[in-house]
Amino acid sequence: MSNQFSHEKIIQLRKKRSAADRRFKTYGLIATVIGMAILFFLLFTIFSKGYSSFQKTVIELDVTFDQETLKITPNATYEEQVEAKFFKVKKKAIANALPDLSKKDIKLMKKMFSINVDKEIKEYFLQNPNILNTTQKLLVTAHSDVDQMLKGNAKRNIEEKKRKLNDRQLEFFDEFVFTGRLKSKFNNFFFTNADSRHPELAGIAGSFVGSLFTLITVFLLAFPIGIGASIYLEEFAPKNKFTELIEVNIANLAAVPSIVFGLLGLGILLNVFGFPRSTPLVGGTVLALMTLPTIIIACRASLKAVPPSIKEGALAMGASKMQAVFHHQVPLALPGTLTGTIIGLAQALGETAPLIMIGMIAFIPNIPTGFTEPSAALPVQIYLWVESAERGFQEKTAAAIMMILIFLFLMNAIAVFLRSRFERKW
Amino acid sequence: MNNVKVSTKNVNVHYGTKQALHRVTLDINEKEVTALIGPSGCGKSTFLRCINRMNDLIDICKVDGSITVDNEEIISDEVDVVSLRSKIGMVFQKPNPFPKSIFDNVAYGPTIHGIVETKTDLEEIVHLSLKRSGLFKEVKDRLHEPGTSLSGGQQQRLCIARAIAVNPDIILMDEPCSALDPIATATIEELIDELKNKYTIVIVTHSMQQAARVSQRTGFFHLGELVETGETQKIFTNPENEKTQGYITGRFG
Amino acid sequence: MFYWSLIIISLGIYSAYIFGKSRITSHSRQLEIKTASLPTYYAQYIMVWCLLPALIVYFGWIIFEDQIIQNLVLANFDFDLNPALNASLLIAEIKNVALSDSFAEGKATEILNAAEHYASIKYVSSISFYLSILIVMILGVMFASRKLQPSFRAQQSIENYVKYFLFFCSSVAVLTTVGIVFSLLFESLRFFSDVSVFEFLFGTKWYPYIPIREGQSGSQGSFGAVPIFAGTFLIMIVAMCVATPIGLFTAIYLAEYASPRVRRIIKPLLEILAGVPTIVYGFFAFVTVAPFVKTFGQSIGIDASPTSALAAGLVMGIMIIPFISSLSDDVINSVPQSLREGSLGIGANKAETIKRVILPAALPGIVGAFLLGVSRAIGETMIVVVAAGTAPNLTANPFENVTTVTVQIVIALIGDQEFDDPRTLSAFALGLVLFVITLILNIFALRIVKKYRERYE
Repeated sequence: MSNQFSHEKIIQLRKKRSAADRRFKTYGLIATVIGMAILFFLLFTIFSKGYSSFQKTVIELDVTFDQETLKITPNATYEEQVEAKFFKVKKKAIANALPDLSKKDIKLMKKMFSINVDKEIKEYFLQNPNILNTTQKLLVTAHSDVDQMLKGNAKRNIEEKKRKLNDRQLEFFDEFVFTGRLKSKFNNFFFTNADSRHPELAGIAGSFVGSLFTLITVFLLAFPIGIGASIYLEEFAPKNKFTELIEVNIANLAAVPSIVFGLLGLGILLNVFGFPRSTPLVGGTVLALMTLPTIIIACRASLKAVPPSIKEGALAMGASKMQAVFHHQVPLALPGTLTGTIIGLAQALGETAPLIMIGMIAFIPNIPTGFTEPSAALPVQIYLWVESAERGFQEKTAAAIMMILIFLFLMNAIAVFLRSRFERKW
Repeated sequence: MNNVKVSTKNVNVHYGTKQALHRVTLDINEKEVTALIGPSGCGKSTFLRCINRMNDLIDICKVDGSITVDNEEIISDEVDVVSLRSKIGMVFQKPNPFPKSIFDNVAYGPTIHGIVETKTDLEEIVHLSLKRSGLFKEVKDRLHEPGTSLSGGQQQRLCIARAIAVNPDIILMDEPCSALDPIATATIEELIDELKNKYTIVIVTHSMQQAARVSQRTGFFHLGELVETGETQKIFTNPENEKTQGYITGRFG
Repeated sequence: MFYWSLIIISLGIYSAYIFGKSRITSHSRQLEIKTASLPTYYAQYIMVWCLLPALIVYFGWIIFEDQIIQNLVLANFDFDLNPALNASLLIAEIKNVALSDSFAEGKATEILNAAEHYASIKYVSSISFYLSILIVMILGVMFASRKLQPSFRAQQSIENYVKYFLFFCSSVAVLTTVGIVFSLLFESLRFFSDVSVFEFLFGTKWYPYIPIREGQSGSQGSFGAVPIFAGTFLIMIVAMCVATPIGLFTAIYLAEYASPRVRRIIKPLLEILAGVPTIVYGFFAFVTVAPFVKTFGQSIGIDASPTSALAAGLVMGIMIIPFISSLSDDVINSVPQSLREGSLGIGANKAETIKRVILPAALPGIVGAFLLGVSRAIGETMIVVVAAGTAPNLTANPFENVTTVTVQIVIALIGDQEFDDPRTLSAFALGLVLFVITLILNIFALRIVKKYRERYE
């Protein structure tokens, strides 16, 4: 056993060890990179699939507003104008979209337009009633199949049967493209309409308003209850079994699957208390119960952060404990509690499963106006669109996801801002 | 000789199973400054906090014995702690102004106790209290700035103003100068000297010099016992107990 | 009704407040006694006694009104219908007719009469609703004003009420748990009166269709949930195989190797990943991962289902990565610095320190994080609803189509719910199983993490 030998061995071993060290570090780096890559790939997928939804395809159409077809006189009242036969005008316009169309062609042509074209024509007319007996070039919304074909989301080099547009319609399509009558326009319907069976008409306004009502309900319930519970647990709770039970309960509720809260909503709120189904009121109540633990944990942390000397000062002035807490501690903890609540609300905004359970999954084609009206919610809208077979809904889904991610981002930004701006360091 | 304002008999304090005060019996005279001295952890602050029942805040703290303020027993469940504390002001070791404006700090007490009815009355009280605490000249132009923007010494005087705004009889001071520099300390000591004409003051202090400068009577605490009490001059020049002697001359503490 | 009640109640409590304040001030002036509390507290006291009865009446009314009116309407008319089957439809029709004439056309006279009756009852009911709110408010104020004496400690009473309210707030968490257990148990018991517990827990055939016609042969529903449990388990395993290594190594890298700057960038990004709604992951699985898995399967000669367990599991694993990494990061960071220094001080390199010292020390915490991750994977709904299948296959092949507990709950409750049909009720039995299993996992994990924290605090 020479010294030389063992020394070499040690050097070799050391090399091996530092190689293992580098390897280990690389594993960590790889894991982190994978995580980040997935995040960017996810966002990329959504944005690349969704951005096209903010544009819609419109077709230029020559619309003749002659009074015989409309069945109104030049000095018709507004009511008469509203009742005028715009569907006939639409029919004529579509029939003359291209020259020399056979009856069968017209039927096919009709399917290339959105079914609500007559309403668009009507709106245009009501805004410019003096165009009676003239022919106007109007940009009307195309059918989703045309839209998808123009955006390149639908393949055209496949069998006719597998296509949404058949060969004849593709000829029309090419003719429109060739004559420059197919145009892209900002998709206002996506922001002003509620859900629809027709992708080109479907929008997120209804589900957005539904989500807004739901979140307001969550806030109105969870914020006061969350603060109240936190104050009680931090300041007034006696040390006994029941307090312990409450604490254990809050910790466990935070990890109960959200779908179970949905079952609670269905089994208790709907079936026992008779809350109105599918409404923001129930949805909000269920989500409030679900986010309560998050809010309580955040509120307690910020109440704890207020130095006890402030409370002592108030008590020594002869303030009661309640006054010391509500005059001094709670106002100082408010920014922290608000931050926690916003984070809870963000969580509630993305939650889907409980809302499905209490029936907010119903197809609601109009924008809700109250807390007790059936309505959809953004995440459920996304789910409905994911599940629907029509291709046109896929970009809608991605676009709706973009919107919800933007809202979440904004909410978190506000929370971070509040925290950095108002939270005191003691 | 002044009247006895606060009188304690056989006060014991327990924190859980640990006894912090042993049978403390002490009389505090009206309109005098009484200093409580002793090494850290000797129970002087604990004793001070018994007088306005601040020890109630600590769950495991138990007080027994008898304490009377104006001949009324205060160690009893029937006592209204809130009105007791409105009669006894307290100033803490570290200045703890509320994170509100200077005005609101002083106005807080009168408002919650309903001492005033109109806004002008309230302003008057705030100004008077600030004047009495010697702070008015310095802050009269910025009453609506936050109290926390003041210097340490000013903050402590603000806390004194806050305490006297509810017109208490007694002011308890728990090492009010320990967080301050010598100049601010001197200001506060002068203020204490002035305040004794109107209020009964009990001050816990770490510094024997301070006790000698501001107080008329002194009590010496050691290991939870009141070892000796008497006129300040006598305690510092001719103590009876040898522990007091040892502490005064700096042999321990 | 809501807005009117809001106005009435607000006006009521406002006047109660004014009344209380003026009453106590004049009282104390008359008697020349200072009030025990500030006048505001007496006013608040009166206000509470005005508000509480009004709220009780309000909520009692909205809960019970419909039921009572329906019973009154149906009792008065002798409809020749099978009540159990059509009562709710009938009521809906009567209500529609009563609300708007456009529904009235072509309806039977019986219905029209009933609708008229309904409308009149409804009218009387709404009048008496507002009246009774007013009356209870006045009674409340009268009752409370007996206490308007200067000696009465109003502040203490008010503070006691506030304390009760705070206590109630914190009991909401307990009430929620009780509500969950109650609703799950109640409906599950009804389910188990039709289907034996043994069949449910150990049966291997899930065919939740009860024949509509009696005596339809050969298609008796069958509720053996083993394939569902197995599917859940399979997807969970796939997910944890993705999430545990990536999450753990990310945590190690962030806690031990990364510079503060890198940490500052990566941590918020991971938080974004954690904050992405699960339905978004579902979409991702559906449009990207599932087709990829299918192509991948084909390239190695396996016929993958478009809704394979692998796709759902992969994406679920991605969802759990930030969860595991942030929990493990906390755990690793709370290992005392002295342990690190001790190991590095005897010449161990970083990897050895981590493997031999830090990870063993942090192991309980990491196990806790893993268990919480498992609990999430089992309870996750939207990813599997979108990306996993609905067919209850009993298989261990991740390329095949399997279903999970949460998927079956959603399927059972989407569409028509019949609360006397085992198909609907099975959702609650599955929910009960889900709740119990995740609860056990959570309690276990939280206990481990808590013990771990205590050790290093």
